[in-house]
Amino acid sequence: MLGASGFVGSDLAGHLMHLGIETVGLSSKDIDLCRPEAVDTLAGIVAPTDPVVIVSAITPDRGRDVSTLMRNLMMGEHLSRFLVSGSCAHVVYISSDAVYADGVSPVRESSCRAPASLHGVMHLAREHMLTHAVRATGLPFLILRPSLLYGARDTHNGYGPNRFVRMARGDRKIALFGRGEEKRDHVYIRDLSRLIGLALLHGSVGALNVATGTSRSFLEVAQVVRGLIGDAVEIEYLPRATPAIHRHFDFSATLKAFPSFRYTSLEEGLAEVVRELGTGRDWATGRSGGGHDVRVREVAG
Amino acid sequence: MIVGFAGLSHLGLVSSIVTASKGCEVLAYDPKPGLCGDLREGRLPTFEPGLADLLEVSRPRIRFTTDAAALRQCDVIFFSLDVPTDTEGRSDLDPLRELIDGVAVGGSSEAVLVVLSQVPPGFTRRLADTLADRAQGRAPGVFYQVETLIIGRAVERALDPERLIVGCRDPRAELPAAYQAVLDVFDCPILRLGYESAELAKISVNVCLAASVAVANTLAELCEVIGAEWSEVAPALKLDRRIGPHAYLSPGLGIAGGNLERDLTTVQALAAEFGTDAALVEACLANSRYRRDWALRAVHSWLDPGDDCPTIAVWGLAYKVDTSSTKNSPALALMESLRPLPIRAYDPQARLDGSRLPNVLQVDSALEACRGAAVLAVMTPWSEFATCDLSEVGRLMTGRALVDPFGALDAARCAALGFSHLRLGWPRPLGTRAR
Repeated sequence: MLGASGFVGSDLAGHLMHLGIETVGLSSKDIDLCRPEAVDTLAGIVAPTDPVVIVSAITPDRGRDVSTLMRNLMMGEHLSRFLVSGSCAHVVYISSDAVYADGVSPVRESSCRAPASLHGVMHLAREHMLTHAVRATGLPFLILRPSLLYGARDTHNGYGPNRFVRMARGDRKIALFGRGEEKRDHVYIRDLSRLIGLALLHGSVGALNVATGTSRSFLEVAQVVRGLIGDAVEIEYLPRATPAIHRHFDFSATLKAFPSFRYTSLEEGLAEVVRELGTGRDWATGRSGGGHDVRVREVAG
Repeated sequence: MIVGFAGLSHLGLVSSIVTASKGCEVLAYDPKPGLCGDLREGRLPTFEPGLADLLEVSRPRIRFTTDAAALRQCDVIFFSLDVPTDTEGRSDLDPLRELIDGVAVGGSSEAVLVVLSQVPPGFTRRLADTLADRAQGRAPGVFYQVETLIIGRAVERALDPERLIVGCRDPRAELPAAYQAVLDVFDCPILRLGYESAELAKISVNVCLAASVAVANTLAELCEVIGAEWSEVAPALKLDRRIGPHAYLSPGLGIAGGNLERDLTTVQALAAEFGTDAALVEACLANSRYRRDWALRAVHSWLDPGDDCPTIAVWGLAYKVDTSSTKNSPALALMESLRPLPIRAYDPQARLDGSRLPNVLQVDSALEACRGAAVLAVMTPWSEFATCDLSEVGRLMTGRALVDPFGALDAARCAALGFSHLRLGWPRPLGTRAR
């Protein structure tokens, strides 16, 4: 797994361990994907029978400029060069719903991909780069495009469930833009990890959005958080800087791909987040603190 | 006068038998071995309400043959083979071309030739020009005639058409007497158009219908989430003269059956070739694909998150009532999407090929399908379902959710028995989870 130390990677590592899947987690400390040497390093680590999950990316909270885009694309270039050699069993790329054009609704896998942000441009370009790379070798390749993710270990503090929980626990106040009317599809991080696990077990290919199919307004999210933390939490309304944009997903493809899979409701997911933050225990594994033990193979060379 | 029909698929069977029932002498040709023999015995290869009875009364005036040369006796020959389509709605015209070549070579050069099959604009003119070249000036009259049969109501539509649309090389010229005589038996307005206009008229009818359905689907879906009822809205629309009492405003589960999709695909292809805008058509097709999964989403919205392997009951397999055809059936699409969940299915007419959907058990009664089911989906609104004992349904099922897109079941009775009843265009019941 590339990008093992981040929000997605660390939760996924724990879930795969729970499934009994041996996972080698690599972070930027282990391998700098921006450097061309990364190609050979990966070749020395990844065995031909290993699936590879690619989560690595410089996220918007660490940079939204062209320079960040180019570094992410350089990572994509080196990953592509590694994949052209075909020396792994299956590739799963964690992209983003940011690849879709604004205003598309409901979003489905066939929706127009015309990103409005450089973050979306990055993911769309990497999707194309990796697709091009695996085409030559016939490697099974899956793209997952998650909607907004939330979970106790998310450090990005983006506007939404994560920030609302922190604000409610800290300031006892949740600030909403406008009347909080914008609707978004919020996905609990454990659900993404479970889907990745299923995809790995089934050798899934293609592209799949990761979204519950039910978009909730930010006001609703705030009200759920308040219900969990306590009525003393105040909801305040700030002037809106941009028009409200709603985003809904048609999740029929997920229903067809994994008929037995059920998403965690917002109420259940946020309850787990609040419990986890309150006690510091990871409710998936019962472990305290951050991170999961992940076996790291000796890096060759 | 003898009227010939070449190609006895659904279109040819209905058209030839109806024409015979109107008093014309008919010679119906098809090269498929066995078919003509079955037809002589009164055995039809397809179910169409009223057709078997009509064949019985028309027997003295209709002959079936596998000999193309026999069509030389005919004064008018209709090419009536349904044009097959692939899964993308693209037409395969080769079978029709082979049929025409086989008949036109052996047929009388005096016979009027009429293309009844579903062809794209330009086909009839090319055919007429080709035959004129071959006959070196003594070409037969070639015409195109629009068919507007609806599977399940084909006999009714063929017996009493609203109008007949004929495509001609010269719409101002009188029709040949023999052809006019055939058309006159239907006692309805006859419109003479140019070849391409008539071919496009047929396609345009279906594009208009598809657009109307897409409008109904879009607005009915809104009803489901804002608390409106489409059954209240639609009558109000039909009383608007600009929309009309016969407007196609019933929401559905996507375009099924193939003919509508064929014509939408034809418009897309022509637009791509000639550079015209077809965004509307693409929107209709996208809406159709989206609506096809309505039942899937509805079924899942009522499944217990803790139940990994719920049984689903499905009533109705045919793509519409009064047919045994499952081509493009929403029921089959639903069952394929639910794999590997176990399904118990019932249909009064349609039969499944068991190997195609191994998770489906086809049973002999509607009630038997409900045994142990968490959710019942009524995918074809056969009239018998309306009279099923819902108390017994409730007793046999483990769940209380009814996905009834077409409103086949009595809503008040369902509510009284404590069912959650999901229908197209109706507000979602309380407790419905994801969309």
